[in-house]
Amino acid sequence: MSTAEHPHHVRLVYQPALPLSNGKLFMWLFLSTEIMFFAALIGAYIVIRFGAPTWPTPHDVHLVEVIGFFNTLVLVMSSVTVVYCLEAAKTNKTGVAKAFMGATLLLGSIFLGIKVYEYSSKFSHGIYPQPKHSRIYEKADLYYASAVRARLQEISGALTVKPVWTEEDVQALAALDAKSDRTDEENTQRTELQTKRDTAITEDEQKRLAFVKDLELKTNTTDPVEINKLAMEIAPLASAMHGTEHAEAAHGGLNDEMPWLKLPIVIPGGNMWASTYFLLTGFHAIHVLVGLIFFAIMMGWNLNAASAIAIENIGLYWHFVDLVWIFLFPLLYLF
Amino acid sequence: MTAHDHPHDPHATHAEHAHSHTGQYFAVFLALCVLSAMSFLTYTDFWRERFPVEAGRTFMMAVSCTKAMLVILFFMHVKYEANWKYVLTIPPAIMAVFLMLALVPDIGFRNRKYSPERKARMAAEASTDSVAAEHGAEAEHSAAEPAAH
Repeated sequence: MSTAEHPHHVRLVYQPALPLSNGKLFMWLFLSTEIMFFAALIGAYIVIRFGAPTWPTPHDVHLVEVIGFFNTLVLVMSSVTVVYCLEAAKTNKTGVAKAFMGATLLLGSIFLGIKVYEYSSKFSHGIYPQPKHSRIYEKADLYYASAVRARLQEISGALTVKPVWTEEDVQALAALDAKSDRTDEENTQRTELQTKRDTAITEDEQKRLAFVKDLELKTNTTDPVEINKLAMEIAPLASAMHGTEHAEAAHGGLNDEMPWLKLPIVIPGGNMWASTYFLLTGFHAIHVLVGLIFFAIMMGWNLNAASAIAIENIGLYWHFVDLVWIFLFPLLYLF
Repeated sequence: MTAHDHPHDPHATHAEHAHSHTGQYFAVFLALCVLSAMSFLTYTDFWRERFPVEAGRTFMMAVSCTKAMLVILFFMHVKYEANWKYVLTIPPAIMAVFLMLALVPDIGFRNRKYSPERKARMAAEASTDSVAAEHGAEAEHSAAEPAAH
């Protein structure tokens, strides 16, 4: 039979250009932009690091390699749990899928918690991304010595203005307390004495003041060897004490023994290190947090086969976050 | 092709691989753990006493690339995807390499030439003897290229 005798209408059927869903295509396009984003950050770090005159060793900046290694294992495990979640969802095992998604959420939270601990360790040593919080100086030179002197004078200034509680004040207050019919002037005097007692310099603070004044004398020098000795006394560098090849962590130092001192420290290359470290790990942590938010939202879903596409897409994002850390860990902790 | 042909199912890839991959995922997880331990091996005294720093770094990056490929191919299912994966991954990878190379002349080589004033404020390797460090820095300045770190 010819088409002229039995015409039939041609029914056009939509053929998708790519064999994947719109959501998955979008996620892969987004990941392509993320590849560029982290390539820029990591590439900048590599170029800055290997073009720098000097760079601190991991122990100079209080990085603990074991913590980074543990974080790597945590993220790898979370990648495994998310693919197990997907496999369970595809076969409509919603309970199992939810358990694995919960495990992923927990492992991601552990990673962020460890990151917060690492950041607090840096901050407690005066390592911040930028001034004015950052107390890092590149060289033990005159500028460093004057910064140390300025901080010591700040401490001694705050302590010097405190009143001294003498034996005479004790007796005067006791006499006023014992008196039952005090005049207004005596009441005012009593209140002033009580305020003086509450704000007076303590014995511990007096010892601190004496120590600070003694230390201040050491800053009155122009000899670079003496200034460097002072810097090592304040915050000893592992690479200076033990050599530059994976030196053991340097412990002690005035800043560690007396956290209230918060004196400037010398870490050659430390400012650039801090800037790149906090930038790289900060952006990575933000990406981890975004992933955890999505996981938390999906915990309220019914994780069945219909949700498998969404789970796969968020899983792709999570695997990419894991990928970035796979490169960040050796670059930041082991190089 | 006629109208009776069925449209290509976007989820055909999933249907083709409906069997479980859990055993494969666990094997990849074990491989990732072993590779992570291997990269940590470069941190130990055993490695440091036998191999130069550059060999350690090359080894670490090779291990990282292997781990990345395992995650990409198996966890992200790229091994089973169609040719679109090349369109979406190869151009960004090329651009990423170019991006890094573009930074080398201005940023990577920024310390190749410097004035005495800049040198005076530049960081130097930490030393308990500052005088020795100063002499070492002067030797570096007079050399053809600064030492790699």
